[in-house]
Amino acid sequence: MKKRILALALASVMVFALTACGNSDSNNAADPTSAPAATEAAGSADATAAPTDAATDTSTAAEDVITVMVPPVTSTYLDKMAVYAEQFHEMYPNLTLEITATSWDDHTEKLNTTALAGQAPDIAEVSYASIGTYVEMGVGINIADYMSADRLADYDQNALDYMTLEGVTYGLPLYITIQSIGANKEMLTAAGVDVASVQQNGWTYDEFLTAISNGTTDDCYGFVFASSAATAADYLNIFGISAGLTNPFTSELKYAYTSENMLNLLTAISDMANSGYTPNYGVDASQRMVMCETGNAMIFGKAMPLFEGNITKNNAAIAAADGTAVEGSINVEYAFLPIPTMDGVTESCYGSVDGLVALRNNDTTDEHLANVMLALDFLCSGDRAAATDAELYLDSVCESGREAMSAYVVEDRDAANLAAAAREISLVVAPPTGITAEMSSDASTLMSEVIAPKFQALLAGECTAQEMYDTICSEAFNVFGEENCETGFIAQ
Amino acid sequence: MAHKQTNNHKQKRFRITSDDRWGYAFIFFAMVIFLVFTIYPVISAIKTSFLDYKPFGSEYVGWENYADTFHNKLFFKAVKNTVIYTAIVVPATIAITFTLSVMMMAFSKKIQTVFKGIYYLPGIASGVALSVVWLWLYDSSPSGLFNEIMTFLHIPTQNWLNSSKTAMGSLIFMAMVSSHGTNIIIYIAALLGIDKSNFEAAEIDGANFLQKIRYIVIPLVKSTTLFLFITGIINSFQVFMNAYMMTGGGPDNNTTMIGLLIFNNAFTRSEFGLACAQAIIMAIIIAAISFVQFKVMGEDIEY
Repeated sequence: MKKRILALALASVMVFALTACGNSDSNNAADPTSAPAATEAAGSADATAAPTDAATDTSTAAEDVITVMVPPVTSTYLDKMAVYAEQFHEMYPNLTLEITATSWDDHTEKLNTTALAGQAPDIAEVSYASIGTYVEMGVGINIADYMSADRLADYDQNALDYMTLEGVTYGLPLYITIQSIGANKEMLTAAGVDVASVQQNGWTYDEFLTAISNGTTDDCYGFVFASSAATAADYLNIFGISAGLTNPFTSELKYAYTSENMLNLLTAISDMANSGYTPNYGVDASQRMVMCETGNAMIFGKAMPLFEGNITKNNAAIAAADGTAVEGSINVEYAFLPIPTMDGVTESCYGSVDGLVALRNNDTTDEHLANVMLALDFLCSGDRAAATDAELYLDSVCESGREAMSAYVVEDRDAANLAAAAREISLVVAPPTGITAEMSSDASTLMSEVIAPKFQALLAGECTAQEMYDTICSEAFNVFGEENCETGFIAQ
Repeated sequence: MAHKQTNNHKQKRFRITSDDRWGYAFIFFAMVIFLVFTIYPVISAIKTSFLDYKPFGSEYVGWENYADTFHNKLFFKAVKNTVIYTAIVVPATIAITFTLSVMMMAFSKKIQTVFKGIYYLPGIASGVALSVVWLWLYDSSPSGLFNEIMTFLHIPTQNWLNSSKTAMGSLIFMAMVSSHGTNIIIYIAALLGIDKSNFEAAEIDGANFLQKIRYIVIPLVKSTTLFLFITGIINSFQVFMNAYMMTGGGPDNNTTMIGLLIFNNAFTRSEFGLACAQAIIMAIIIAAISFVQFKVMGEDIEY
């Protein structure tokens, strides 16, 4: 009998130990100090007050925890978030920010999974293009219901428009980023390109083609754009600008990737791959800049103004010979370039807005949301916005951020790149108004299920541009209806 | 008398003995865990498959998710890809592990243990880490290891993971040469269970090595082979990480397996209802294949 009892006890311990291994969060859930106290959050801070003024109003308010999920927006962003959380707690002693750090690779999946489980963080970082997904899911929150017009007025309207779907604003912008191409200036000049003129005036696709033809050698591609897996969407969105595709939808809200412009774009990319000017295999996102730094690529994409900092650091590491430079890298002078334009196309630049959105979860109440808005506003404005934008070499998109920006003057920036970036920002075309969450979600599905997979086959020379275009048209007609798809040329 | 005997028999059949109680006590905790972590999720998945799932306010849509699945070309492409992958990987892997196990039997127990350890080693490594190594091997640029070998042999370099011609083959090759450890251990246990007198009798009759394999080993390890076939097919139908890590399902969805499609629908497109419907369909397919396997291969097996 004793042996049986002992054996039973051991079996029980083993079983419980095994289940406990996968349930490390349960202790936190039971801890009243770490669980969101949304239901008790009465008499919380005045949501309409500016973030810096409300501290005194909350001294007697109930404790509340606000969860935030963010990826490393900049190399120091996650470290800074810990500091921001402390600052916020000092301003509002009853409110605590609980930060969940993610990586860029798993951020969207983690956010989707928690949102679907009704456990979304109160605040999360998203790109404007993803907002439709969360609205469709039913977890988006109209922040205008909880924030005063005064506070919303701090943010630039054009940036707020990106965070708005069907007239409802779901979040606050952190920055407008421009995404284009960059190059090794010396190699580009050797290929016969007047780099200064291109940066100041733009260039045609024919000029670009001549340049990459001249720049292609046995060891160097004239042009490399990250194209493996999900980055194929970036290639089409960003380089699609050259063919006049500024958004998946036209201003008449017709699906744009069935237009002649798309066929022109696919033909151009296919020709570049077949000519050997660009790799006919999928290039990882991490490889494209490395290929430029090692002299294996003359022009690369996607590129952003902030890459000047990365390349400058690598040059310094080469000079210091401290072993931290990219293996095999050479000294590179970075040139930020506009996307070339094809015939009949007005020059523009791909812009995207990233920001923080408020999301609904099982614990959401009106009182809790008022506190969430305080945190949302705090994280997107003032010094926090300025620090992020300065590190990204971008201008701030809110008044308080611009005021704080003076403390973040970045030294040693190339004047030509700075001017080129400013010119590109002025060329960004805002998304058409009236795109619904469903349209946005359907376009995203078409991109991930049809266009991006087919694009790899196009690069590998396994299908023609016409075949890929026909497939896109066929699938898009099924999804949107032929009458809602643009099949002619989109002139601007 | 006969009536009394029947009553006694009934009483005996339904009496719970002290040993029974201990038995139930032992399985109680395991049953609770099984019910909570296995049965409940299955029931929940079946329920969700009839919903347009949303975290706040799901809508009952009847069989719509199943209808959408059967109207989705990508689902059938994923089924086709999975069947091709399984049809090659499972038999090939079993053939390789059987051959390796038979070869190991010639050595002493110590040497066998060393080989078992070596072959089992990849099994304890993280699948993600292994995928990263394979990504390096299959790197499509000229500096990829396989491409360097191709260049050395004056053969054109290949776009291993990004070409429709080679992507599926690359995944199959990766699966075929990895993870034999568990199968080898199971096969060696089965081989050790064969009575030596069978081989002695065969030798007296003048049987050569291949005849001993054909007429003694293969029939006597048939139950093990059936087990490995069934578990292999189940695992292969659920393959996810290889495609997710190596190709992302591309190019042109030529390596999108059912597992990856379900994952994408659930966690990328947030279509939980559709993903659950596809998961239920996959479970039915696997159950049907396993049933057929038992019927076809299991008839003359004695346990």
